[in-house]
Amino acid sequence: MRRRRLLRTATGVLLTALMLFPVYWMVNVSLTPPGKMRKSPPDFFPTTPTFDGYVRVFNEQLPYFLTSLLVASGTVVLTLALAAPAAYSLAKLRPRGRRPLWFVLLVAQMIPGIIMALGFYGIYVSLGITNSVSGLILADSTIAVPFAVLILSSFMASVPDELVQAARIDGAGAVRVFWSIVLPVSRNGIVTAALFAFLWAWSDFVFAATLDSGGSLKPLTLGIYRYIGNNNQEWNAIMATAVVASVPAAVLLVLAQRFVAAGITAGAVKD
Amino acid sequence: MQLRRQLVGWAFLLPLLAYLLLSYAYPLLTNLDLSLRDNTIRTFVHGGAPFVGFANYAAVFADPAFGTAVLHTVVFTLVSLVFQYAAGLALAVFFTRSFPLSATLRALFLVPWLLPLIVSASTWAWMLNSEAGVVNAVLAAFGVDKVDWLTSPNWSLVSVTVANIWIGIPFNLVVLHSGLRNIPAEVYEASALDGANGWQTFWRITFPMLRPVSGITLLLGLVYTLKVFDIIWIMTRGGPSGASTTLAVKSYELGFGNMLPRFGPSAAVGNVLILVAMVAGICYVRVQRHQEEA
Amino acid sequence: MLRIPIARRLTIVLIAAGLAACACSSQAGDGGSKDSGTYSLWDPYPQFDNGSEWVKVIDNCGTQAGVKITRQAYDTTDLTNKVLLAAQQHTAPNVLVVDNPVVSTLADAGVVLSNKDSGLAAAEAAPNLVAAAQTGGQTYGVPIGANTLALYYNKAVLRTAGVDPAAITDWASLDAALAKVTAAGKKGITFSAIGTEEGTFQFLPWFWGAGAQLTSLSSPEAASSLDLWKSWLDRKYAPNSVIGNTQTTSWQEFATGEYAFAENGTWQRANAAKAGFEYGVIPIPARNGGVAPAPTGGEFVTVPVQGDKGTETTAAKIANCLVSPDTALTTDTALTYVSAVPAVQERQIAAQPDLKVWVDAVKAAKGRTSDGLGTRYPRISQPLWTAVQAVLTGSKSSADALSAAQAAAASAK
Repeated sequence: MRRRRLLRTATGVLLTALMLFPVYWMVNVSLTPPGKMRKSPPDFFPTTPTFDGYVRVFNEQLPYFLTSLLVASGTVVLTLALAAPAAYSLAKLRPRGRRPLWFVLLVAQMIPGIIMALGFYGIYVSLGITNSVSGLILADSTIAVPFAVLILSSFMASVPDELVQAARIDGAGAVRVFWSIVLPVSRNGIVTAALFAFLWAWSDFVFAATLDSGGSLKPLTLGIYRYIGNNNQEWNAIMATAVVASVPAAVLLVLAQRFVAAGITAGAVKD
Repeated sequence: MQLRRQLVGWAFLLPLLAYLLLSYAYPLLTNLDLSLRDNTIRTFVHGGAPFVGFANYAAVFADPAFGTAVLHTVVFTLVSLVFQYAAGLALAVFFTRSFPLSATLRALFLVPWLLPLIVSASTWAWMLNSEAGVVNAVLAAFGVDKVDWLTSPNWSLVSVTVANIWIGIPFNLVVLHSGLRNIPAEVYEASALDGANGWQTFWRITFPMLRPVSGITLLLGLVYTLKVFDIIWIMTRGGPSGASTTLAVKSYELGFGNMLPRFGPSAAVGNVLILVAMVAGICYVRVQRHQEEA
Repeated sequence: MLRIPIARRLTIVLIAAGLAACACSSQAGDGGSKDSGTYSLWDPYPQFDNGSEWVKVIDNCGTQAGVKITRQAYDTTDLTNKVLLAAQQHTAPNVLVVDNPVVSTLADAGVVLSNKDSGLAAAEAAPNLVAAAQTGGQTYGVPIGANTLALYYNKAVLRTAGVDPAAITDWASLDAALAKVTAAGKKGITFSAIGTEEGTFQFLPWFWGAGAQLTSLSSPEAASSLDLWKSWLDRKYAPNSVIGNTQTTSWQEFATGEYAFAENGTWQRANAAKAGFEYGVIPIPARNGGVAPAPTGGEFVTVPVQGDKGTETTAAKIANCLVSPDTALTTDTALTYVSAVPAVQERQIAAQPDLKVWVDAVKAAKGRTSDGLGTRYPRISQPLWTAVQAVLTGSKSSADALSAAQAAAASAK
């Protein structure tokens, strides 16, 4: 039994390594001096690493980290606040005339990001909220909200109706059922929606570039632009920015997953 | 009572409705309006573009490159979906087993999503480079000849599809894994008591119970894959000579790939894609209603 | 675009209702302010931060004009979209530094003022550079500096192969050099033939060097230039990766020290010095000898339309200051550009003798939007790079690809 578990871990590590090979390659490039970047065949390890890219990133990019964190967390909160009640209604209250909403949500996701950004730009300029964190949160949430509603409602749909009925009979109102029953039971869906809202906002480029290119309030991803010139790109610094931007977020993800996994095993799923 | 329930239902939907109207109405109408007018740079800035009805659509459909782009879109989308879903499901089942580091490894699978697309797509282009790419270097070690992954018309669509599958696996893994977690443990216990083996349990219990989540995962996957342009744009610019151009790439190329944007045809292609997604949505809702009523 | 009264009104109402409730932090808008004290300047130089010489130059020019300048830097491709959007919202910057082939597009869209209307003076700049910003008999803006393409070569590689770079004066001698280099076990030449404007930019010296014209893509001269590139791929003088190479990727290939030649631009001089091997530069040869005209690169300083004579005049004052010879010299040095003013070019050569070949190349260079092509150029450039890609991948012959390109270019208005 124990050996079997270890075998699984070994398989898991192997699969993860395979999956993350491109990420490793990005790290490798970030450390490769320009003269060796297109060496044929390439070096599998940075034998003569250069840390120029990282030096530049640490000198130039760190202030933007906080902005990224604020924007990503804000997007999670806004997304869940809008999507969870709506998903509950779609899955459990099922009011008449809800089906067209499905199409709206689907169509909404199909609008190209750049068109969304163009639309927002005009509105933001007249409102004066370009270069603001709240403006970016609002824009980034448009990627996540339709997804969150659809995913949450399919999770909430699998909450047994008997559970909801039982609570009703006990005298619980719709809000109470939502808050104390449906929401805790669909915790997995909530975590999933939150995760992707965070990831999308964290790695967003289009909205940041269109709505927030000046001043000190820019997210980390936009810092990459500094290394993309008209005729020349500085790949050490570009890749280093991506590494620096993803490491803290990756740690956050791992911690969150552990926390969630622990929470689930502790509080039985079936309630 | 019934009316009250309706009202409560809509009350829960209200914030979302306001938000949707606020955020999407304008871009959507803009896109529609763009596609029905003959916009030049001057009219884009100063307004007054003449209304031309469906002329942009007609022009787009008449372009011989459009048919090729449709074909590429179908291949790219279907192949991506099948592989993403299959790999995601297999990994999700794998990660529901308990073993040391399970949660950590699963979290690490998400790391590709933390990278800006410009970086991950560039890294793929780097690895697949025909001269100095690591993929060709590894193949050479096995005696395989150099493949022009990105610069040969026969391979470029394959290459961008592989990269897109890679990007899509974490999404499928996470959503399907959460779906598996939501299946009550008693069901499995009962199945085990009946003497079903792992494979039987999967096909008789897990897969059917995962159907709602699978459906939504595939539908969303379809929507996102139809929309993908940045990976392709960064890796091949839709080339060489259109060999990896999908509809989304076409739309971007018309609108922003050139110093002189052609907003009308670009928006027309974009709206065709929206229509495709709607059709997929209708199919999905049909199936779903069928199940609800059953 | 967005002239849909109903949609617009609807949105404004929704915004007013919705966002008024959300206590969003409010900052001044993006673009040009109409208040007298502060002027906005946009440029495509995100690599320069606030401590750079370029920003000092801007501040000085602001002080001279008696105003404060707020500067924003964008990625080049983003800058064009951003300016169009800003102009649509009437928030264009007061001064705009923008890539030269875009100028005629912006002029055509009525976004930037002609020099006659703004009071900008382009008299000192070399006419072949200014031509890129001339459309409809008017000039829009002044070049801040120029760059162009030439052939970098690796001295050690040529020495081992026994090639004398000075003897490369036409296509035949270049072909002979490439044959010797590859016979010596080294790689020949790398360039960028990617399916974007960059690809056309790199192809033009060969295209023009064969005597072809952008108004007639299907000429035999044009075919001969495309056949030259194709023959390099067929004979393994150039790697297959050129089909997807950007100019940076191509430079990275040259930086490995394996290649004899690389077609690249003035902007790589700083990187070349760091490459770790000795390099030289020769102009790109024309087919039958002499220097081929290469396309000009580099930005123009322009004054966008504000609809207010006073601010436009002050903006022109700032712009004139930015391109004045002494000021521009500082900027061009920082950008490793060649000055647009002939007298300053001589001073640059005196200070850095190795710049001479670049100054000569710039003198022979030609704007892509010159010859009155203006906004027709993008409609020609795209079919051209499509044809280049089709031929290099072997999917079409050069004659077929170019006649298709000519048809596409001619059908676009």
